[in-house]
Amino acid sequence: MADQTRVLLDDIDEPGLHTIEVYERLGGYQALRKALTTMEPDEIVAELQASGLRGRGGAGFSMGQKASFMPKGTMDKYLCCNADESEPGTFKDRLLMQKNPHRLIEGIVIAAVAAGANRAFIYIRGEYVLQADILNAAVAEARARGYVGANILGSGHDVDLVVHRGAGAYICGEETALLDSLEGKRGNPRLKPPFPANQGLFRGPTLINNVETLSNVPIVIAKGAEWFKQRGTEKSTGTKVVSVSGNVQRPGNYEIELGIPAREIVYGLAGGPPPGRKVKCWFPGGSSAPVLLEEDLDRPYSFESMAEAGSMLGSGAIIVVDDSVPIVSLALRVARFYRHESCGKCVPCREGTNWTVKMLERIDRGEATPMDIEILDQVQQNIMGNCLCVLGDSMAMPVRSMIAKFKDEFIAHNERAREAADRLAVGAGLSSEPVDAAA
Amino acid sequence: MPKPEPKLITFEIDGREVQAPEGMMLVDAARLGDVEIPFFCYEPKLGAPVGACRMCLVEIEGMPKLQTSCSTPVKDGMVVSTTSERVKQAQNAVVEFLLVNHPLDCPVCDKGGECPLQDISYGWGAGRSRFIEPKRHFEKPVALSPLIAIDRERCILCYRCVRFSQEIAEDYQLVFLERGDHTFVGTHDGHPYVAPFSGNIVELCPVGALTSQAYRFRARPWDIEDAGSICTLCPSQCNVKYTTRDDTRVLRVLARDNQGVDDGWLCDKGRFGYQAIHAPERVTQPLVRDGGALRPVSWERALSEAARALARAGGRSAAIVGGQATNEEGFLVQHLMREVLGSPHVDSRPSGVLDPAQARALARPDLTAAVPDIEWAGAVLVLDTELVDEMPILDLRVRKGVRRNGVRLVVATSRPSSLDPNARAVVRFTPGAGEAFLAALGAALGDGRGLDELAGRAGASPEAVRAAADALRDAGPVVVVWGERLSGGERGRQAVARLLDLARTLELAGTEGAGLLEVPRGTNARGLREVGCLPNLAPGLADAAAAGKSAGEIAAAVPEEISALLLVHADPLSSHPDRGAWERALDRAGSVIAFADFLTPGLEEHATVVFPSESEAEKDGTMTHPDGRVQRVRQAIARPPEVLPNWQVLAELCERIGKPAGVVSGPAVFERIVASVPFYEGLTLAELGGKGVRWQERDGAGRVPESTLPEGGLEEPPPLEAADLRLGTAPSLWSGPVVEHSPILRFLLADQRVELSVEDGERLGVSTGDEVAVTVGGASVRGVARLRSDVPPGSVFLVEGTQSENATALTNGRPRAVKVARAAREVTPA
Amino acid sequence: MSYPWSEDVITVERGPEPGGVGGAYRVLGETLRGLKTVFKQALSKPVTIEYPEEKTPVYPRFRGRHKLHRFEDTGLEKCVGCSLCAAACPAGCIRVVAAENTPDHQVSAGERYAAVYEINLTRCIFCGYCEIACPFDAITMGVDYELADYTRSDLIFTKEMLLADPIDKTPLRAEGE
Repeated sequence: MADQTRVLLDDIDEPGLHTIEVYERLGGYQALRKALTTMEPDEIVAELQASGLRGRGGAGFSMGQKASFMPKGTMDKYLCCNADESEPGTFKDRLLMQKNPHRLIEGIVIAAVAAGANRAFIYIRGEYVLQADILNAAVAEARARGYVGANILGSGHDVDLVVHRGAGAYICGEETALLDSLEGKRGNPRLKPPFPANQGLFRGPTLINNVETLSNVPIVIAKGAEWFKQRGTEKSTGTKVVSVSGNVQRPGNYEIELGIPAREIVYGLAGGPPPGRKVKCWFPGGSSAPVLLEEDLDRPYSFESMAEAGSMLGSGAIIVVDDSVPIVSLALRVARFYRHESCGKCVPCREGTNWTVKMLERIDRGEATPMDIEILDQVQQNIMGNCLCVLGDSMAMPVRSMIAKFKDEFIAHNERAREAADRLAVGAGLSSEPVDAAA
Repeated sequence: MPKPEPKLITFEIDGREVQAPEGMMLVDAARLGDVEIPFFCYEPKLGAPVGACRMCLVEIEGMPKLQTSCSTPVKDGMVVSTTSERVKQAQNAVVEFLLVNHPLDCPVCDKGGECPLQDISYGWGAGRSRFIEPKRHFEKPVALSPLIAIDRERCILCYRCVRFSQEIAEDYQLVFLERGDHTFVGTHDGHPYVAPFSGNIVELCPVGALTSQAYRFRARPWDIEDAGSICTLCPSQCNVKYTTRDDTRVLRVLARDNQGVDDGWLCDKGRFGYQAIHAPERVTQPLVRDGGALRPVSWERALSEAARALARAGGRSAAIVGGQATNEEGFLVQHLMREVLGSPHVDSRPSGVLDPAQARALARPDLTAAVPDIEWAGAVLVLDTELVDEMPILDLRVRKGVRRNGVRLVVATSRPSSLDPNARAVVRFTPGAGEAFLAALGAALGDGRGLDELAGRAGASPEAVRAAADALRDAGPVVVVWGERLSGGERGRQAVARLLDLARTLELAGTEGAGLLEVPRGTNARGLREVGCLPNLAPGLADAAAAGKSAGEIAAAVPEEISALLLVHADPLSSHPDRGAWERALDRAGSVIAFADFLTPGLEEHATVVFPSESEAEKDGTMTHPDGRVQRVRQAIARPPEVLPNWQVLAELCERIGKPAGVVSGPAVFERIVASVPFYEGLTLAELGGKGVRWQERDGAGRVPESTLPEGGLEEPPPLEAADLRLGTAPSLWSGPVVEHSPILRFLLADQRVELSVEDGERLGVSTGDEVAVTVGGASVRGVARLRSDVPPGSVFLVEGTQSENATALTNGRPRAVKVARAAREVTPA
Repeated sequence: MSYPWSEDVITVERGPEPGGVGGAYRVLGETLRGLKTVFKQALSKPVTIEYPEEKTPVYPRFRGRHKLHRFEDTGLEKCVGCSLCAAACPAGCIRVVAAENTPDHQVSAGERYAAVYEINLTRCIFCGYCEIACPFDAITMGVDYELADYTRSDLIFTKEMLLADPIDKTPLRAEGE
């Protein structure tokens, strides 16, 4: 059985880690002290850039580079921690916030200082009530100890931190929709450019990062970029908390070094599918990643390798689907989720997700023709790349990959459903056409 | 913020080199190269693009994804393709997606035939639909307001109406509700969307989702014709298009974009008030009082009676000209009075005498701001006027300046203004104390001496005055938008002197983009002033040969010195202060000859001859905008058979009295005006064209009579007299015959309401909704009390121009201390 | 150069000279042939149609006076007053003024109906474009061609006239006739 590489989760089992006493006893807030007392903001950014730390929220953009885009000057700048973890299959941030909130706070304060922001927000998913309470308590503790607030550790830097709970919309995990929501508006994505780094929250430059990314910041600062880079591959440095779910025997969060074969995660750590079943396909990075097949499990689990396989590492949530699951039901489940969560602002996503669901339902009922499967595929192509934000693509990509990889199953599913419906209709006397007994 | 200077760059689109100003959005720049890019949600007037419709996707070399051309500024050397395979596929896809939930009920849809969705589906769609699933359904049509119907099935969620409500009108009423394909446009709790500018969303809607209730199913685009003109219902003089059918009916009024006047918007009164043109109550034939009642008669009889009455009165006749009169009518009226009848008594200002020297100073070209200056000014001072009621479209201009260009707004009024939330400084002064406020502001802008004392005389807080002065100081060019009310009343002369003093202090005369902009009471007040319709001013702002009586004096002089009254589009009972005096005057006048389109109660009771006047859509003539823009009023539909052009009637009267005016057509009158007004020199109707010309920008501007700004010698404003409650009055946008006679607007008709501060309300035991009586010197006006937290204690406000219980019964041009008490409900006999 | 006269000389082919018995026979023979036709037609039925007692049958696709239609089941008018026929009409002889259906006054199946629908048949050129333009098959070209009247205004057909069946039915030609 493969081992985890615990960096982020090293002390996760320590009782009371969420309290500042335990966190400090284990060396917490030392990175902040180091950053504030021995480093200039530019140096922090440089260190982050050197570490190669990539965003853990889904896009995988270099965190240091993002921070370096923040304009210099004395305008109001902001930092937002995106804790609106809503991607189906992803539950790593919940663990990090629930167990180790102070590391996140430490990371936020360091990143805020590096970016020159003096107001920081944690936008946490509305359903994470417990985690929000823990974070609020932790922020209060940190404020009492002077890690948050005015003149932190006597350095002259001010960072105010507020935990804001969302109201239950997946789209608010999209960074610009998050900003709109935080401003008190309807959470709809904004047009980019201007990018948040130039004009974000309340029209000020804003740095937005995922919980896991920010939790990595104290580690990079404490142990140095070199130490961090030793883990992972050249382009995917560090460790990653992977949420494994679906048809596996031991679902859960596992911290791994980026670049180990995916099979080790699915079979080694999570125990593989239940006995007697085979992996049919798997999502390497949450439900918005195109599905991969069983043979792709041998690929190294890293940003670049998943992209090469035609999918993405995304938020690092592996969903395993075994051969007991009909692919049409899977596609329908995914499509329904995204239709429900589409904000309705841009046309391809709003109408495309809704059309896709209706077509998949028709296939599921056996009322489709092979041409409909063609149309379904073309609709996905028409959505991809034409939307305002990535939500539309998030449905189109997995559904399209399923059609590409399991087209025969779609056709067979439709056929079977039609025959079943015809038999029912004959049985109920609704159809005059007798069904061929051999069929 | 100074207006940016455009710089030209070159880019390539579909293989052709095009020059465009840098920073222009690609979709606009493409049009310069005759390349059309389809779009729905983009509308530069609505502010920053939202990129929601995805129709304008184009391929830009060097960018991996297709880009929305509505949000991509052109850069030098950019290479763009709008016809590549990828772009075509995206366009087809977006059209197909748009039609997924669109009901395609074009034959029943009012937009059919002038619908961007139809056009773009034909032009850029694949021409087929592969969608066979059931479509989304909403209840339809639903009344969004009594003026607007909404069909949510047709809506493509382009954000235009919502952005208009949120960012232009700033009424924040329209929002999106629900999400995904269930999203719909609505209001909080389903309240009707009632706002002064709500009708604009009908014009903005790129599909038939928002339709005008008044125009609903009246005609299809091929049944109608557009006729450009200007709206004559308020001094904004917005450029409009009348949609006419069969040359006899106005079916709709649309905005006609004129950056210099209206910026493409139109208020609901202008948009829906056309219904009054076809109201059955309209006067469409000459009437003569016969046996106590007005009876329809032949033109011959009406003309001869009127001519006889005027000739008999001769120098004892007087004319009151209403603001809706055109320059031509005004010119002929003063000609009739001065040259034909030998009477100097002609007035077009309801608010009292305007000093001739001050009138000339106010007309100085370097002291007049143009409307677009508001948008780019450093600071705007809104002084003693409520723009949304008195010149609505300027309200939007001010909001735009504040929102987009960071204009510093200072609001100094007696009554709480709808612009208060946008203002950097707000000053409330006692009604009628504009002069004292200006004195205090002058002190605050200067060395601050006597500020507290002067602010006290204005009933304003010295801190607020100081804040206003701080906002105006060093702001760059300042535009002062001031209401005619400031210059009214018995201390009007001193107030205008203070205003001119402020203009000197702020150096408005020497600064580009700065100046004064008057918000007059009458639509064409400026034009009438310039063609000589003031008692002491001849055409061209020259001193009149003999000074006549002003409106108030005319009323007082009946019947001793004045025996015949000519009312041209005027009913002094509803528009002029001191209603009691006017009632007596009309009652005792030997003859009252009126030009009117509706018989107001005053005319019904007192007029001896009524000439039917043309509606605004039937008129031909010119008007002058408060910023000096001379604009044409064009005839859009045929006059009713028994209605003659007013200029013709006036010319006929001149002739019958014995001194022909020598004009044979409307344009001939205009030529006479041009010959008599030196600064209109050389102006022709052709030059005015569709958008008008500001005379200040022509060579003739130098020929305006010389005037200097007075220096020093200002009188001290009088101290406030002790009073419990002081009366302020303000016109409402929703008053007047047009609102009364347009069925669709009637629900907005202003009733008399009494606005009180919460403190005063509690003191007097009055709460919102109570019927109260406001009394002063024996006269009393009843209305419904409304307690407002932003009304300063000690002030009470009434509406001017209501159908009944008009506030003019209480006003007389002086500050008035009034008593407010709960009124016993009137018992109507069973 | 002088004009060559020879170019104006045209040779005309002549028929045989009449003459003798052969000629007489030819004249008589032709006469008899003519008489044969006369007697044959004298015995056959006349082709003249005795209009107006009798009417010429027309082909089903004959473009005569227009008809407006109702739904057979509900009795509602098919026309929704969209005015597309008026837009398509090259003679400009159709005038439509629409109005809105209310629950108490439901005239057509859509939201709107034609409150006024007039065709000026003095101007109509019977091109059938209105029929093609109609999105609801509400107007079709009928087969009636008897369109004479005493005044012009009587030939402005109103909606009621167009909806009503014609009093006299125009006979139709059968298939293949």
